[in-house]
Amino acid sequence: MSARTGWANAQRRAFTLGLAPALIVLAVVTLAPAIYLVVTSLTPLTPVNPASLLNFSDPLGNYRQALFGSSFLHSVRLQLELSVITVGLQTAVGVGLALLLNLESRFMEAVRTGFLVPMVLPPIVVAIIWKVLYTPGISPLYGALGALGIPVGSLITNPVAALPAIALADTWEWFPFTMLMVLAALQMMPTEQLEAARIDGAGAMQMFWYVRLPFIRPALTVAVLFRLIDSIKAFPLIYVLTNGGPGQATEVTNYYAFIQTFNFAYWGYGSAIATMMVAGVFVLSFAVNRLGGAQAADE
Amino acid sequence: MLTHLAATALLVLALAPVLWLLQMSFRPNADIMSGGIGFTPTLANYRALAGGGFPASFANSLMASTSSTVLSLLIGVPAAYALSRWRFRARGQIAMWILVTRMAPPIAFTIPFFLAYSWLGLLDTVGGLVIIYLTFNLAMVIWTMRSFFAAIPRALEEAAWIDGAGVWMAFLRVVLPLTAPGLAATGILCFIMSWNDFFFALILTRTNAMTAPVAIVNFMQYAGWEWGKIAAAGMLVLLPVLIFTFFARAYLVRGMMAGGVKE
Repeated sequence: MSARTGWANAQRRAFTLGLAPALIVLAVVTLAPAIYLVVTSLTPLTPVNPASLLNFSDPLGNYRQALFGSSFLHSVRLQLELSVITVGLQTAVGVGLALLLNLESRFMEAVRTGFLVPMVLPPIVVAIIWKVLYTPGISPLYGALGALGIPVGSLITNPVAALPAIALADTWEWFPFTMLMVLAALQMMPTEQLEAARIDGAGAMQMFWYVRLPFIRPALTVAVLFRLIDSIKAFPLIYVLTNGGPGQATEVTNYYAFIQTFNFAYWGYGSAIATMMVAGVFVLSFAVNRLGGAQAADE
Repeated sequence: MLTHLAATALLVLALAPVLWLLQMSFRPNADIMSGGIGFTPTLANYRALAGGGFPASFANSLMASTSSTVLSLLIGVPAAYALSRWRFRARGQIAMWILVTRMAPPIAFTIPFFLAYSWLGLLDTVGGLVIIYLTFNLAMVIWTMRSFFAAIPRALEEAAWIDGAGVWMAFLRVVLPLTAPGLAATGILCFIMSWNDFFFALILTRTNAMTAPVAIVNFMQYAGWEWGKIAAAGMLVLLPVLIFTFFARAYLVRGMMAGGVKE
């Protein structure tokens, strides 16, 4: 028994001691609720009837109702629509701006910091800002459109325009994220590659498609996946702008679960939807984990 | 030069929505609907806020965010250090767990927490908010601090061990001071994420523990549309975040990507 193994043991004990409280707390605040959520999703739980908490007579009833009814599937379709529009726009704007701002200068550095503002604003402030912009009478938007000869009515009370209007606000809030990720990747790009392409006479478009894009693709993929997952969670914008309406035109899955649970008190049904959302997020996270790992291995 | 000009123009366009809210917060209420460019700035909207329940909500926000930040750092920092120095088999699984925690939709936490809180009497308390904020803060602290610790050469603490210091003494005296900027940035990110929370506070609080973001929404629902007051409250909620972000901007992405990218 040397002093060395004694020290190794002491070290292991110390590390266990440091890790234990965090793992216990994480288990209590994340693992336990997750298990509880799955359990309540198997019951017709509603606060009106406390006995429903232990009613497991039809464990898959909520899931059947969701998958064979029309309202949940409707919400999933809206969710897909919202996610595709907003992530698509964010990626386009983010990449475009990153290419424009990718210059080494003090000035550009300041401009880049300025572009971060929408992303760090409290989401509720973003929601207020867009509520103001979309409300006729106080918004400068409708006046300006009218002056251009394109008079439009309120966008957020129009069943066709409401979802794209939310997507636009969400794009404004989150394009800086993609921009930042792409900028970080661009700045790591070796200059020899760019030089070589330039000497070979590549134009700006070719430089982007054949030289820059392949280089930033791993970072871009991770950014897109992150934004895709976060777009599923968009809440304050919908709550303040449309409250899921008009009708159910903006009742995306997350919002649908919220309304079913907290407005209609269908806790069991809401739990089932939340459980399916977690499952979906888990699959996407796994993809992020794989891609993030692959990226690290490349470097 | 043309690039600089284009960049500046786009920046102004991107920030215009925020500036519009800013000017609205200084407009006399009677003038907001008229929509003209010129007006006499007034502090009336801010003064109106001081009279109602808004200061109490602001204080709740401050208390919940600060407490959750301190608690997350106290529990998360030692764990991050252990993870950075100790090779064991479950590391990959713990990383995945942290990532899923970061990604999970808040509604999945809210349903079980609401039921547990109504049973424990934690609904509508600042303490209840502090606990649920751990769900995202703790994961973020562990992930970001782990990478800061991993960047510190081990030779430094090994020298302290040889001098007879224990693992945690060496950590406190040698490692932690070297990661002070990272620690500050991580704390700022925790504060911002808690401060920005709307969903949890909306569902888990009513009146006593109502936070500032929820109070703003109540201006919309109960007091009619007092746009000036709403704009002023929005600016006040935004201010701490802008200030803090400026100091932590270099670490922003690392915190937001917690769990996503391995170094």
